[in-house]
This record gives sequence, structure tokens and C-alpha cells, in this order.
Amino acid sequence: MWTRKAAIMLTSGISLILIGMMISNFQLMIVGLSFISLLAINGWVSGHSELLVERETSATNVYKGDDIVVSLTVTNKSYRRTQQLELFDNVPHEMKMRKGINQMRMNLGPGQTAKLRYVVRCPLRGHYTVGPVSIRYRNAFNLFVNETKLDDRSDITVFPQIRDIEEALLRSDVPKMYSGATTLKTPGPGMEFYALREYLPGDSFRSINWKALARTGEMMVNEKTRDAVTDVFVIVDTRDVSRIGTVLKNPLEMGTVAAASVSNYFLKRRDSVSLVTYGSRMDYIPPETGDKQYFKILSGLASVEAKGSMPLQAVTNALSPRMSRGSPVFIISSLEGDGTTLPAIRNLSGKGHEVIVLSPSSIDLERLVSRIPRMSYEVLKLERQNRLTAIAGYGAKVIDWMPDVELSQALLQIKLG
Amino acid sequence: MISNEVPMRKSLNISQLRRRWQILLLQLISTASLVLLMQRMTRLYGTCSDTFVESYGDSLYWCPAYEHTRGLRWFEQETGSLVLPDFLTGLDQTGEMTVAAPLVLCFAITGVWIYVLTRGESTRKWINIAVAVIFFAWMLLPFLISWIMAMDHPLNHIGHLWGPLLFIFELIFLGVVFAPVLAGIMGIWGLSKKFLTWTVGYYLTVIGVHAILTFEGITESVDLGLNPLPAQIGEATMIGGLVSPMALDLIEVAILLLLYLESGSAVISHMEYASLLPKDAKRDPDFVRQFENVVNGHLVHLIGVMSLVALTTAIALEFDDFLISTVGALSGGQWSGQVKESLELQLTYGKVISAGLFLVVVAGMRFVLPWQRVTGIFETALLRFRSSET
Repeated sequence: MWTRKAAIMLTSGISLILIGMMISNFQLMIVGLSFISLLAINGWVSGHSELLVERETSATNVYKGDDIVVSLTVTNKSYRRTQQLELFDNVPHEMKMRKGINQMRMNLGPGQTAKLRYVVRCPLRGHYTVGPVSIRYRNAFNLFVNETKLDDRSDITVFPQIRDIEEALLRSDVPKMYSGATTLKTPGPGMEFYALREYLPGDSFRSINWKALARTGEMMVNEKTRDAVTDVFVIVDTRDVSRIGTVLKNPLEMGTVAAASVSNYFLKRRDSVSLVTYGSRMDYIPPETGDKQYFKILSGLASVEAKGSMPLQAVTNALSPRMSRGSPVFIISSLEGDGTTLPAIRNLSGKGHEVIVLSPSSIDLERLVSRIPRMSYEVLKLERQNRLTAIAGYGAKVIDWMPDVELSQALLQIKLG
Repeated sequence: MISNEVPMRKSLNISQLRRRWQILLLQLISTASLVLLMQRMTRLYGTCSDTFVESYGDSLYWCPAYEHTRGLRWFEQETGSLVLPDFLTGLDQTGEMTVAAPLVLCFAITGVWIYVLTRGESTRKWINIAVAVIFFAWMLLPFLISWIMAMDHPLNHIGHLWGPLLFIFELIFLGVVFAPVLAGIMGIWGLSKKFLTWTVGYYLTVIGVHAILTFEGITESVDLGLNPLPAQIGEATMIGGLVSPMALDLIEVAILLLLYLESGSAVISHMEYASLLPKDAKRDPDFVRQFENVVNGHLVHLIGVMSLVALTTAIALEFDDFLISTVGALSGGQWSGQVKESLELQLTYGKVISAGLFLVVVAGMRFVLPWQRVTGIFETALLRFRSSET
């Protein structure tokens, strides 16, 4: 492709020749001819982008705020010089360059290799793609430009950050409330057989395995698996209203961090966790335990976007048959713009679920981006307090989560409240 | 992240790059082209026509030719004296030495300008204010003081304004020749694309204005005394019959113009790229190696392409001769006779059309000659040879 400079040079060359011819001036004609000669000779030199590009990333799954080291190796496999190339590795605009740069000007000889290294920070959760690699050949005199793309892509998933909430939940006695039916593969009081072990003073006679005693002549006792917490349901509001606030601080971002942290906490305890997100549609990850479930939940949270206006009651109605009796339910929502919140929570409480509502304060989040008159703010705040009080009246534990409060601090409100 | 860094002196920091031989070479090529261009322009466009000179006899004359001493001498005669001393304007010299002192002055001004540019914002502001205040004080203060002191004779002190006015006129006479040189040097060493293009634009304007003012249709109405370029390009007697002396001079001007612009722009473009790089990339061995590759490639390209452009333009101008001799060599035939006759006219149109034909052939050669592949194979062989040696 011709650049603007080449086009100007061609038109001025032709104009100078024509004017020179008209007024019989050789100087003008020769300047014009030399402009066109320059274009003709430069046309002989063409760059190429027959390159071998290999990208390596330090990680493909990272947590929000983490850094990724990207290394791009470019090799000229041909027998020709590439001439002046500008290489640009396309990085999603959500990622911030921390070190190095994702572009390089190069002129690779035959078989020569160049390495481009840079570090990007991922401040926003989501699924991203680094690449393709854009390569622009530019003539040394900036007369011709040719752009190509090498379709080399690396997928990166940015999970929400995990906050340490263990102490907060222990102090608030939350886990103790969830006596349930799921058996965990750790020794403790329970119904299911776990293993045989030697008798220790204090062991109940009822636990002695008499057959093992007869066979080995030693006192052996049956050890049982610990009966622990039942399925934990985490419901995250991803409706359009949850985008209120800044890009980094809004109910959705706070909600994903909270959901990831709560899930991590319970999964570490080897409990089963289910994740439900609702916005334009409902996404349901059935309760499971283990690392695979942890990854599923984080991936699910990474991809949520603020859109839609699905009511909470529709979600709880759909979930109701799948929820084991008495299992705890975490609802993470700003509670804005949904008239069904109260009946939904009332139904859940009525069915014996322990409901904990973690509600990022959308009014305070809105204050981060726009000025709300004091009187209006007071009125809105009062309305919100009334709503939260009404929900608490149905037996739910309600946490009013202010933007500047850490998650662990917010969870402490359960105990204090 | 980066395991090894190049030493500071090899880094891509602007201060280090300014001392890199490739960058300095490009700047020197550009500066030399500019000075040579000015010298060629003075030689080609710096004289008045013979009839104009004869009409003045022994007295001093001036025409708007591209030369500064004639104008200054004429101005000195008209006004009595000059504000600027002769050693600064080159009036005390003869021949090509007349441009030496103003050239040194241009370099000195550029040096001061770059020094001021590299100072802090506030220092720059104060220097600018000081220069403006001193200049206006010199221009207006003597006049104002004398006017206030002698209110009774309101017209006696107007003479105090005459000195500064003369100075401005002298600067205009000098500026016709040296303003593009000063702007050009500032562009090259002060890394300003605006100045570079302004200089090229100025020279093209001078050539254009001279061409129009010396056009027969114009001179019949208004003859300013400018010396016109010959209407014929002359017999090719130089470089093995390739080019005529006149054509060589004209090609030189065109090539120097391109060489100045391209080498000056190359420096700015490479410096711009380096300045965009973050600190750690400036010391990354891969970035440094590739930067050197690019600049070396640019230098080779500049020298190679410009030589070829000069050669191509010269051949293109003589291509009509080649066509005539080829057609003449063909025996008989009505068609060949007609072609020969039309080309033999040797007028501007024939020359330009044949030159255009030649350039089309040259442009088409890219599809015929795989020269990049050939040079690539040579380069690969050379690299292998080098690696086997080590």
C-alpha cells in the first residue's frame, strides 16, 4: 500500500514534470523525474512477513491484579532479509503494560531471531486473548506499507481475587451452623466407615471391631468419616444494575470477589459449593467439591458480565427443587431494582435455609462516579436501610457492604449483628 | 525478567543515541547535502542576466537572484552603512568564501537553540523573554528616550528607528539564502520534521519562482534581470557520455534535496521510536540489536537507493538518444523512419516521454529481477561462513 508521502511524491513529481514541460524548465522536470525514480527504485525493495512466531506466557490462569510475562520469539526462516518490520503483539486494552513493550522495530537477516519480552498486569477479571501478532512492513523512506497478521493467540483467564476470610467466618460461627448430610473423607464423628486403627484409651467399646480382634488378636476400632457441612449455594447478582460505580469498584466486581472467596473457603473445608449467577439468564454450577469445582467456579465468575434484569425470585424458584434441605445460601446482590427480593428470601428462610445476604452498597458506589446531593443521598440511604431491615426481619443475615470495607471486615458484621 | 542488559553506552537512550556513529553519519550526510545544495543553488540561480548587468554599466545593481552579497552591497550603497559587520555577512570575502561566515553563524545559532531547548521550562521562558526584551529595547528605547527628552522637536528623533529597520532589511537579504540553511540545520540537529519539510518546500519554491520569472512569456512583460537556465540540456560529455554538464548540475540539486530530506527524516524517525521505548527495553539486547539492524539497513538503503536514483534519472534523460540510435540502426522501413524523425526533434516533450518510458521499465524490473532473493542467499552464505569461522 502506498503511503501519503508516496502519493504526494508521485503527484508532485508528475506536476513538476508537467509544469517544467509547459515553461520549458529542465530543473523542474528533473526534480519531478527524480521523485518518480525514487518511487520506482524503492518499489524493488519489498519486505516480507514469512516469520515463525512463538509466544510463551508465564501463566494462562491468573488472579485479578496478577502479572503475566509474555515472551515472543520471532524467527526469519527465509533466505531473504525481512527489511524494516514493525511487530506489534495485540494485547487486550484491559491489560496494563508493566514492564517492557509489546512492539519492536526489526530488520531480521536470514535465519535471525529476535525476542520480545514484556509484562502485563491484569486488573480486570475475564477471558482474554493475547494476539494475533500484527506485522507491518515499512519501506525505509516510508513510501510503502504492507500489513499482515499472524494468527498466533494465547488465551488467558483472569479470575477474581481471593480474599482471606477464614478468620472472619470462624469468628462469626457461620460454619458451625451448617450441620448436614454430606460425608467428608476425613476421620471424625459420622456414619460411614473410614478406616481401621489401633484402640486408644477413651475409645468407645461400641467402635471396637470384634472380627479384627479375633483375626489379629489386637484391639482395633472402626474409624468413621466426619459428617460435615452440606451443599453451600452462592447466588451472585449480575444484572445490569450491578455495574454502578467505577470499572474496578462496582457491585459486580465486589460480588465476584466475595463469591470466589466464600467458595474457596468452603471448598478448602471439602464442602460442596454451587454457584448461581443471574442477569440476562441464570447460570448454574451444581454443587461439587474439590479443585475441579474450584476451577469451574472461578471460570464462571471470570466470564460474568453486567446485563439483564432477571428477578431473584425466578432464580430461587428454579433452584428450589435442587437445593438440599437446610443448606446455607449466600446471596450477593446490591438488592437494587428488584421487587422480588423480599418474597424470594422469605421463601428460602421458610424452607429452612440459612440465608446470608451480602449487599454491596450501590448508593455509595455511585457516589464514586457522580455527585449525589446530600439530601437525596440521605433519602436513598434510608430507603436501603429499610429494605435491609425488612430482609433481616425474615431471618436472613444481612451485611451492608460499604465500598471501602474489606470483605473479611464486612463478614464480621454477621457476628456483630 | 531480562537476564542481561547491554552497557549504558550501547543503550537506546536518546543521549547515547546522539553519539551513535550511524545517527551521526546520517546527520552529517544530511548537513553536507544541505550545504552542497545551497552551494549548487547559488551557482545555478545566483547570477543576474548578462543584459541586465550590462544595462547598469559600472554601477552596483541588484536582481532577485539567489545570492546575498550583491543585495547587501547594493543596500549598503543605498543606505550608507550596514548594521551587521562585513566579516559576519561575508562581504569581506570573494567567491564561495562569502557563505563561510554566515554558515558558521547558522551553526552557532543552531547550537544555542539546541542548548536552550535542552534547558528546563522556566529557564527557556526566561531566555526567550530576555532576548525579546533586549531586542525591543534596542529597537525602541533610543527612539522613546529621545522623543521624551525633546518633545519640542517631534520629528528629529525618527532617525533612531532607522537603525533597527536597516537591521531587519539586512536580515531579509541574508535570510533569502541562509534562512533555509538555518532551518535545515535546526531540523537535522534539533530533530524537527517541520523545519526539514519547510526547507525542502523553500528550495522548491525558489526553483519554481525562478522558473516562472525566467519564462519567456513572463520576461517579455516583466524582466527582473534573472539569469535563465539554458533551454537545451546540452551534449552528454561527462561520465562516459552519460550526462551533460548542465544535466549533472540539475540532477545534483534534485538528489541533494532528496538526500537531505531522507537522511534528516531517518534520524528523527529512529529517535522517535527509541524515545517511545520504555527504560528496560532500551537496554534489552534484542531491542538494541534490532535497532542497529534497522539503522544499518537504512544507511545501506539510503546510499544504494540514492545512487540508483541519480543513475536512473541520468539514464532516463539520455534515453531518447538511445531510442534514436536504436531506431536509426534499424534498416529502412517507413515506420522506423517516422519514429526517428519525431524523436529527433529532441525537444522537451520527446525527452520527458522517453524518460517516462524508461522509468516505467525500471519500475517493472521488480517483477523480473529477484535481486532480494539473490542478496539473501549471499547473506546466508556469508553468515554460515562467519559462524563456521568462529
